[in-house]
Amino acid sequence: MKPWHAALLSLLLLAGCKRETRQARLDPAVAEAMDSVATLPIGINGRPPPVLLAMGEPYRSNAYQLSQGKRLYAWFNCQGCHTDGGGGSAPALMDGWWRYGPDAVSIFLSIRDGRPNGMPAFRERLTTEQIWQLTGYLQSLGATSSTAATPGRNDSMQTRPGENRVPSMSRLPSPHEGGP
Amino acid sequence: MSEALEQRDLRDTALDEVLLESRLARTWHTPPGWVGFFTTVDHKRIAVRYIVTAFAFLLLGGVLALLMRLQLSRPEAGLIGPDLYNQIFTVHGSTMMFLFAVPVMEAVGVLLVPLMLGTRNIAFPRLNAFSYWIYLAGGLVLWVAFVLDVGPDVGWFAYVPLSGPQYSAGKRADIWAQMITFTEIAALAIAVEIVVTVLKQRAPGMSLDRIPLFVWAMFVTSFVVILAMPAVVVASTALILDRLVGTHFFNPAEGGDALLWQHLFWFFGHPEVYIIFLPAVGMISSILPTFVRRPIFGYLPLVLALIGTGILAFGLWVHHMFTTGLPRVGESFFTASSMAIAVPSGVQIFCWLATIWLGRPVWRVPFLYILAFFFTFVLGGLTGVMVASVPLDTQVHDTYFVVAHFHYVLVGGAVFPLLAAVTYWFSKMTGRMMSERLGRWSVALLFIGFNFTFFPMHILGLQGMPRRIYTYQADLPWGGMNLFVSLCSLALAAGFLLFVWNALRSARAGEAAGDNPWGAATLEWATSSPPPPYNFTRIPVVRSANPLWDDGGALPVASGLSVNRRELLITTTAEARPEARETSPRDSAWPFWAAIATTIMLVCSIFTPWAVVWGSIPVAVTLVGWFWPRGTPEDDS
Repeated sequence: MKPWHAALLSLLLLAGCKRETRQARLDPAVAEAMDSVATLPIGINGRPPPVLLAMGEPYRSNAYQLSQGKRLYAWFNCQGCHTDGGGGSAPALMDGWWRYGPDAVSIFLSIRDGRPNGMPAFRERLTTEQIWQLTGYLQSLGATSSTAATPGRNDSMQTRPGENRVPSMSRLPSPHEGGP
Repeated sequence: MSEALEQRDLRDTALDEVLLESRLARTWHTPPGWVGFFTTVDHKRIAVRYIVTAFAFLLLGGVLALLMRLQLSRPEAGLIGPDLYNQIFTVHGSTMMFLFAVPVMEAVGVLLVPLMLGTRNIAFPRLNAFSYWIYLAGGLVLWVAFVLDVGPDVGWFAYVPLSGPQYSAGKRADIWAQMITFTEIAALAIAVEIVVTVLKQRAPGMSLDRIPLFVWAMFVTSFVVILAMPAVVVASTALILDRLVGTHFFNPAEGGDALLWQHLFWFFGHPEVYIIFLPAVGMISSILPTFVRRPIFGYLPLVLALIGTGILAFGLWVHHMFTTGLPRVGESFFTASSMAIAVPSGVQIFCWLATIWLGRPVWRVPFLYILAFFFTFVLGGLTGVMVASVPLDTQVHDTYFVVAHFHYVLVGGAVFPLLAAVTYWFSKMTGRMMSERLGRWSVALLFIGFNFTFFPMHILGLQGMPRRIYTYQADLPWGGMNLFVSLCSLALAAGFLLFVWNALRSARAGEAAGDNPWGAATLEWATSSPPPPYNFTRIPVVRSANPLWDDGGALPVASGLSVNRRELLITTTAEARPEARETSPRDSAWPFWAAIATTIMLVCSIFTPWAVVWGSIPVAVTLVGWFWPRGTPEDDS
């Protein structure tokens, strides 16, 4: 094998790992399929839509999707109750404790359908894709280890280290440290 | 006798011509094959490699331009989506500016400056080899990322906040900023080499007023590079720190400043235009006398114009920022300085016109390129004076008028002279001549194709078509002219293809060139085509600005250099009186390894700042190998 054959081959292999693909507009069928979560009647936990797996879970691993989620977090005033993730009149989102479970489907359902005691339903206000973007961002908020795919810090006053720098915590707090 | 031949300090005075040439060839030659490929420090081999790589990037960038023209040829075309289009115009601009225009000009300088000065190699030849590998790595970083859909999408000047952490998620803008770092290192390395070569390695007798104008141009350009690049080093480093470490250089809420980016970038970015343009005018000043058969008119004003342009280049960066809301005094000052740059440009144009006027033109291909340059560049200069005025600039800012303007200046002002230079000095790279017939066809195609492609863009811009849009609606009145532009861009592309084909064909089967096929006057024509690894058997002595014309057939030579070591003649800065003998470094693979280590460090630093800490260890190791002292003592005298 000549050297440039090897170079060409490795380029082609590299081309297989496209991590930053951005699609401006989803195929309508895909967009619709993303809403089909199989869930328990209590609205906690369930199976994510198969189409999400087929797409390679972009809402968790693609920096652009995560930053879209972050933007939606500001646009839809999640800060109003959850502040920047530390919690206010609503629970914290970055301490690793989730009232309705830490998995993507539970968070998705919390946003889409709302929860008792004040969490409104955003079904009518956000598209399914946007809810998944927001879900992915919220999961990255509570992360305990850093990843290469994160949204960057905002051009604003900083209340905590930028998402791309450190995880919000290194481990879950134990009950006598303030964890539930 | 053979014992005497091996003696370390054997001088060329002791040998006859034939023996001297064989000894010099043994001392200066590069081993053939892969070993030689990675270890050579011969400025000619590195320069040719640099030029070939830069032209490869020109073709890649050209393909991107054609893709954009295809997408814009009709309204609401669905060929390329907005995201890919953003990447395409960014990679097109970055490739053309950072991977083609600047490197190719510096590469021609690396090839010609030592030959024109009558020395045996460039100063710091290992740094020269390092520069090429770093440049190649930077180009690969950008293009591999583009193939992976991680190509930067923020425009070639990457304004914050768009390129900042909030609005450019992912690694795309980091790739751009690190690619800048690679090209900064490569360009700074060459600039330092050229400054030292020009100041200290000129042939005896080549006082400041006998330096060929191309060398003067490269000399001024190198100073512009050295003074301008630090600004973009600061800017791109601050951008990376903002994005990766979480600093706040460009975050106004935390005391940073978004406009700071534009100032830093254009304090580099405007001189960048002259980094591309000054070598081009140097090429013209050096080529033109050969084709009008008389010395250049106005050597002194031309040198002063080069220096004046180099200084003024730093006083007009703000004219890129007229629409950011400047104080009135600032606007007026930078309008005045922008218009003032027309003065040294005008001086040069009139000197060249006078040279042609007083001479007897020979209508060969390089001269035709120069005529194409005159027409195109003057048009671009005129629109430059137009956009230097604030009210007009406010109207046409970010429209196709500006696109037309800078393509006229860059293609007309730099690419046409570059093609003239490649045609003219082709024999010094390959030993052969390019085909005259194909050359005439490509001049015609390029000239007509270029003007028909870019002139209508002025009108499109005045009609309000913004730059960097990926499509436009059918009811806007731009469709017809865009189709015309797209069709004409095919002629332009055909001209470039013909040029490349001509070059490839002529490199193998062209007519063999003698030492001085054009009957030119400067020192590079005093040696064979292509020159031997040691450039000159004996160092020529210069007694006028046009040595080959004024000294008849035989140049006087200086002797006394060692033949068993690579040795150069060092001369004084102003008068070029012989001062010392200096050894020139031998071949080495360390520059290549140092470039690999630097590349690994820079690429990994996109993912974690710790890469700078750990990555600096292999860099340090390779540098230690590079600078490891030789066993033999330095013996300069």
